[in-house]
Amino acid sequence: MSEATMPAMAVDLGGIKMGNPINTASGTYGQGWQFEGFYDVGLLGAITTKGCSAEPWEGNPQPRMTDVFGGMMNSVGLQNPGVRSFVEECGEYLAHLQERGCQVICQVAGHSVGEYVRAVELFEELAPWAAGLEINISCPNIAQGGCAMGSTPEGASEVIAAVRPRTKRPLLVKMAPERVVEVARALEAAGADALTVINSIPAMAIDVHTRRSKLSRPTGGLSGPVLHNIALRMVWEAHRAVSLPICGVGGITSGEDAAEFILAGATAVSVGSQNLFEPASAPRILDELVDWVASQGVRDVNELIGAVEC
Amino acid sequence: MKIAGIEYPALAPVEAACHRARIAENRIVAEGIMRLTLECADLARALEPGQFVNVAVGGEPRQLARIPLSFVATQAQEGLVHIVYALLGPGTRRLARILEGEELDVLGPLGHGWRLDEGAARVLLVSGGTGTVPVYAAAVWCHRHGIAFDAVVGARHRELHWAVDRLRERTSGDVVVTTDDGSLGERGFATGPALRLMGERAYDLVLACGPEPLMQTVSARATELGIPCQVSMERTMACGFGACSTCAVKTTGGMKGACKAGPVFDAREVIW
Repeated sequence: MSEATMPAMAVDLGGIKMGNPINTASGTYGQGWQFEGFYDVGLLGAITTKGCSAEPWEGNPQPRMTDVFGGMMNSVGLQNPGVRSFVEECGEYLAHLQERGCQVICQVAGHSVGEYVRAVELFEELAPWAAGLEINISCPNIAQGGCAMGSTPEGASEVIAAVRPRTKRPLLVKMAPERVVEVARALEAAGADALTVINSIPAMAIDVHTRRSKLSRPTGGLSGPVLHNIALRMVWEAHRAVSLPICGVGGITSGEDAAEFILAGATAVSVGSQNLFEPASAPRILDELVDWVASQGVRDVNELIGAVEC
Repeated sequence: MKIAGIEYPALAPVEAACHRARIAENRIVAEGIMRLTLECADLARALEPGQFVNVAVGGEPRQLARIPLSFVATQAQEGLVHIVYALLGPGTRRLARILEGEELDVLGPLGHGWRLDEGAARVLLVSGGTGTVPVYAAAVWCHRHGIAFDAVVGARHRELHWAVDRLRERTSGDVVVTTDDGSLGERGFATGPALRLMGERAYDLVLACGPEPLMQTVSARATELGIPCQVSMERTMACGFGACSTCAVKTTGGMKGACKAGPVFDAREVIW
């Protein structure tokens, strides 16, 4: 494609200025550097790093992953070394990645309002390079916090109202796949800058021979193509309910999948499980998305956000 | 590896790639056990015993993640990688239906393999079930380097007879077989004969792969006797290159991925 026909791909995700709409879903992308052997991560609009809490978390026992129809299930449980070790290990790389033009969004995890606040304070202190923070109030694999807080408008807004005064940086919220419209409205009122819709869906898989869960916990988070159309519907609902920009996530394997999210109202999209199955999928999806935007006869991808005709 | 021209001492992206590998052979060798030979010069050259590859099968909606597979041997000059896999689910059953001559998308080489020492005088190899595959690769290495080994191979049923016969061809030492049902060799688990051999003979190194109780018992005894012991940890995993945290192993140095820090660990490092 010549530069004359190349559409403008830059988008603004709640104050995060992305060179193109492609982001990566937290938990499927390590801390970014794991993919540098496969392609130049600086090509992506943004990456979202693995959820990090104030203190280290060991995560859940094994097994943590199982294959299921149309995707996979995991029960990793937000294993992470804590913000301090995270920044020590890869802060320099992430600061440079930011300089290379890829926006670095750091995901924040917690079991309680106080833990989210503490983690945000640590990111403020130790990670001045971060383009934004994504508050994960929807992990299906932790006993406290996570889904329990993100599934109700009250719980969700309590977390965001508490962390909002601690940072001036763009604040994204990773939403649970439940009560999306009500929770989105509550998050907008509480001061969120953008919404990430959706996290993996709580699900179950049983080994019928042993009569045990295929994961170490009874349930886990379902991800992959199987949830694409559910996520798409939720992005469309959230987009109609609030004026916040949305990052659409759920089973993206192609530029066409990404395009559906943009038409449904997403400003950006995150590639998730496909990163794990096909390490170089994100730049391929970006190329396919650019081709689609050009094929629509528009000069700027922003003209297509929410452009679905229903 | 430098990233965008800068060296980050704490970070090491995998030096693996997705290869198109032609299937030279994909046939049954025992009930539920397949032998897959891939033509891939890069992998045949690069793979070290105990490492693995991650194979995308395609065409099976219940298996979107790649399947991590160990190999028994490589032939660098011929550009061949010999893999043995068990039919365990929809993904491996789909793989078994892919015909010779077709191509597979194979990600590798992955992981850290066995730390093998050419100075070893006698090695004990212990395996259970599909754990026999990476252990077999170590046996091939020992044979090539003239190092004597004894092996204890455990299986549910006689399905591992293919490995036993070939191991016997590669060592003057003992190859002890156990099966859960007594259909081949001694009835019972590999644990008993492994402990017995460690009591009878002096080893410089013990390598084990199989069910965790087997590896735990064998490595505990090796540690008591002061014998270096390595274990290869089997985990379900989604990526194979350190991005997803599904295959974590609890170690004295914190949680580590079996895909990248392992699958082979120093047994003293593993917290069971």
